[in-house]
Amino acid sequence: MKRDNKMTVIFLTPALLSFCLVFLYPTIRTLFMSFFYVRTVTDNLGKWEFVGIGNYIKLFSSPMFRQSLVNIFNIWFWGGIAVFLVALVFSVILTSGYKGKSFYRAAIYLPNVVSAVAMATMWIQYAFSSKYGLFHSVFTFLGLEKAAAFQWTSPDNQFFAMTLAYCFGMVGYYVLIFMAGIEKIPVDYFEAARLEGANLFKQFTKITMPLMRGVIKSSIVMWSVTSIAFFIWSMMFSPLDPDVGTITPMVYMYNLVFGRNLTPTDPRLLNAGAGAAVGVLMTLMIIGVFGLVNFLIRDKKLQY
Amino acid sequence: MNRKQTLGRLPGYAVLNLWVLFTIVLVGWIVLASLSTTREIFTNTLLQSGLHFDNYIKAIVNHNVGMYFINSMIYTFAASFGIIVISAPASYILARFRFRGNKLIQSLFVGSLGIPQIMIILPLFYLASIMRMTNSRSLLIILYICLNVPFTVFFLLSFFATIPGSFEEAAAIDGCTPIGTFWKIIFPLAQPGIITVGIFNFIVLWNEFFIALIFANTSELRPLAVGLYTMVQSMRYIGDWAGMFAAVIIVFVPTFLLYIFLSKRIIAGVTGGAIKE
Repeated sequence: MKRDNKMTVIFLTPALLSFCLVFLYPTIRTLFMSFFYVRTVTDNLGKWEFVGIGNYIKLFSSPMFRQSLVNIFNIWFWGGIAVFLVALVFSVILTSGYKGKSFYRAAIYLPNVVSAVAMATMWIQYAFSSKYGLFHSVFTFLGLEKAAAFQWTSPDNQFFAMTLAYCFGMVGYYVLIFMAGIEKIPVDYFEAARLEGANLFKQFTKITMPLMRGVIKSSIVMWSVTSIAFFIWSMMFSPLDPDVGTITPMVYMYNLVFGRNLTPTDPRLLNAGAGAAVGVLMTLMIIGVFGLVNFLIRDKKLQY
Repeated sequence: MNRKQTLGRLPGYAVLNLWVLFTIVLVGWIVLASLSTTREIFTNTLLQSGLHFDNYIKAIVNHNVGMYFINSMIYTFAASFGIIVISAPASYILARFRFRGNKLIQSLFVGSLGIPQIMIILPLFYLASIMRMTNSRSLLIILYICLNVPFTVFFLLSFFATIPGSFEEAAAIDGCTPIGTFWKIIFPLAQPGIITVGIFNFIVLWNEFFIALIFANTSELRPLAVGLYTMVQSMRYIGDWAGMFAAVIIVFVPTFLLYIFLSKRIIAGVTGGAIKE
């Protein structure tokens, strides 16, 4: 069919305009802004003051920001390992002929369709509560006094509690993705391996994992993109002030630019340009992970 | 053999059941707590004085949850609709026709899925303030539409690609304009994809938090997620835990119901969107 030029323009323009408006223009402006001292975010270009990489230097000299980087790394790395391992185990189990596959899959995915604010409230106000909480009750019932007395939301433990609750919900998404990946592998491969006497573990390491490379690769990128945007859970665990135990770069930036709880320890940093620098750093991290994953995991185009 | 197999699967079932049971208890307890009094919650004696549906009325009226709910409805429906109106035609053009820049546009859209919101939020706030649009419902709807267009275009590509070109040819012979052909014939044919991505966007927008937190600053404009957050934040002054749990359930129920009825479709959509050839 011949392409109608008028239609092409009419159909494509709104989507392209919206892309330029909320992605292209803001990305470029944020990049520029990160090299300027900008007192408030609503200041126009005329009031910007060039400072070179000054904003970046100031950010890295702030203990709060450095802590937010450590936190986001721990969530990304340790949380990622935990989520991927659990999701792999679940998806291997569920694709090996268990009854009730769709029910389990749907139930494990459920937290992903629920508002994170609601999920976090359930965890903080119920599961982790030291008065009537779920863990408290279960451990008391089991006679594990020490475990029952564990203060989940105390400053020392809240990072662990937050990561645990977050990862619990994230597992479901990767179970879905991994299951779809495994189900695309032809059954004959597993049958042939079984006839040759390969056990489940051998089948997993020799067939499933190598053929899932592409899926794992895109999942790591996906996990990185969502981890960088870690925000709601941190805000829920420290609802009043940003806290060293739970702060992430996005929360740091929010408080720096929009927050009423401006970090009093860093008055030099009250600057929207520094907020822009946080955004640039996070974007660079995503690009870095993307490059690294593409370099480390070679994904040959497989035909089956 | 069969018996051995069943026995071998017991640990697997145990882990799965424990995981699911935890989710059910977590949500179930909140439901019960939302029907108890705050006193009962703290003394671990849920429902002792019967069902307290008035918690919901208190949440809806006293804690503004009713208004937040209506806001969420407005944002979610208007934006979900707008996203499709803009994305479907663009996706159709990109899937159907070869022209210079087609691949570039597609990669720009895919690339934008990796841009964190933190990278774009400051200029958006600047734009909104110089256009004097902060604190308006339309601003939030426009942002929600624009932010979700790339994903939706990308998602719909494969659905438009599979519709045979003979439909357009037949319509052209009958004298239908290309634009008319798209809305009357092609758009309905792509319905499975459009409904799936529509539900998906609905859930994402219903739960959206960051953009709303920044752009809906006054209480009259807040959607449910932000409303619940501010409620939790001020809980130490309000002290109405039962009302808070009722609010949690009010946030929880709409997407949960959608999920119960449409889980197959949603799950197929998630895996279809993430695993592409």
